Amino acid sequence: MRMPSAGSMRIAVRNDLSIPTTNSTKQVSDMAQQNEIKLSEKDGVTIMEIQGDITVFSEPFLKEAYQSANDLNAVNVMLVFDSSAYINSGGIAILIQLLAEARKRKQQVGITGLSEHFKKIFNMVGITRFARIYQTLEEGLNGLSPP
Amino acid sequence: MSSKQEGTAEAKGESMQMDHTLRMLDERTLEVNLPNIIGYERIAMDCSASFARIIGFTKDRIEDLKTAVSEACLNAMEHGNKGRTDARVMLMMTFDDNSFNITISDEGEGIVELPEDPDIEKKIEQLQTPRGLGIFLIKKLVDHVEFNKDEGQGHVLRMVLRMTY
Repeated sequence: MRMPSAGSMRIAVRNDLSIPTTNSTKQVSDMAQQNEIKLSEKDGVTIMEIQGDITVFSEPFLKEAYQSANDLNAVNVMLVFDSSAYINSGGIAILIQLLAEARKRKQQVGITGLSEHFKKIFNMVGITRFARIYQTLEEGLNGLSPP
Repeated sequence: MSSKQEGTAEAKGESMQMDHTLRMLDERTLEVNLPNIIGYERIAMDCSASFARIIGFTKDRIEDLKTAVSEACLNAMEHGNKGRTDARVMLMMTFDDNSFNITISDEGEGIVELPEDPDIEKKIEQLQTPRGLGIFLIKKLVDHVEFNKDEGQGHVLRMVLRMTY
């Protein structure tokens, strides 16, 4: 089953102090982070457009969006980042968890929208061995679309 | 020159030290004193980036610096100070002879043993925690890094980035 091509789904859950980290370090409430993730489908590829920074506090947003994509039988997944986003090691760890889950499901994952710096970081960490980076969304859709 | 910002939020049942201070000790030295709160590492990132921009670092090198500073602060907050909201993270940034020197101090015991470099295959196979990338990134992005126990004052990470043209 494919997701409907018309329309999209937006996921935005307010994050707050109740989100735990590994050792209870806190984030102040007025700096609470949220990601807005827009889900859509095109040419058999589920597109996750992620607004905002990618840190450990992104976990509930990314997990919920990815779960929603799988509930709608996503085949392959394209992650579209905000090129001005701040991404740290905590956020990369969340992406690694998503890639691990995608591998179990035999999904291909593509990435686009990254700044040159974070393309370098993703390459350093090895993420590019499990998710190809595309220059544009169109290029990614061509690469990930089922034959 | 110095500036001080104070916040008002208070965690339930804990005294949160919300203020942060920036002090220009001389024209080549900047001190940043942060509360132990994740998110405040961005203040250190922005300060280091502004300082490096004035000095003449390239855009690419400034991005490396920002990530290294961010990861060092996060390590200090999470692993050094163990999330204690009454603890502090102190940075000293100095420019000298084409090098940008930064020390990041926390109140912890320091690193007993440096973690092995991450193995992405094992992480994807869930045989290794997906975390543990911070020190690896610092080592890859800076020209020199060292981890020192500061007698009586906690742990100090020192890193050096050389200017590229």
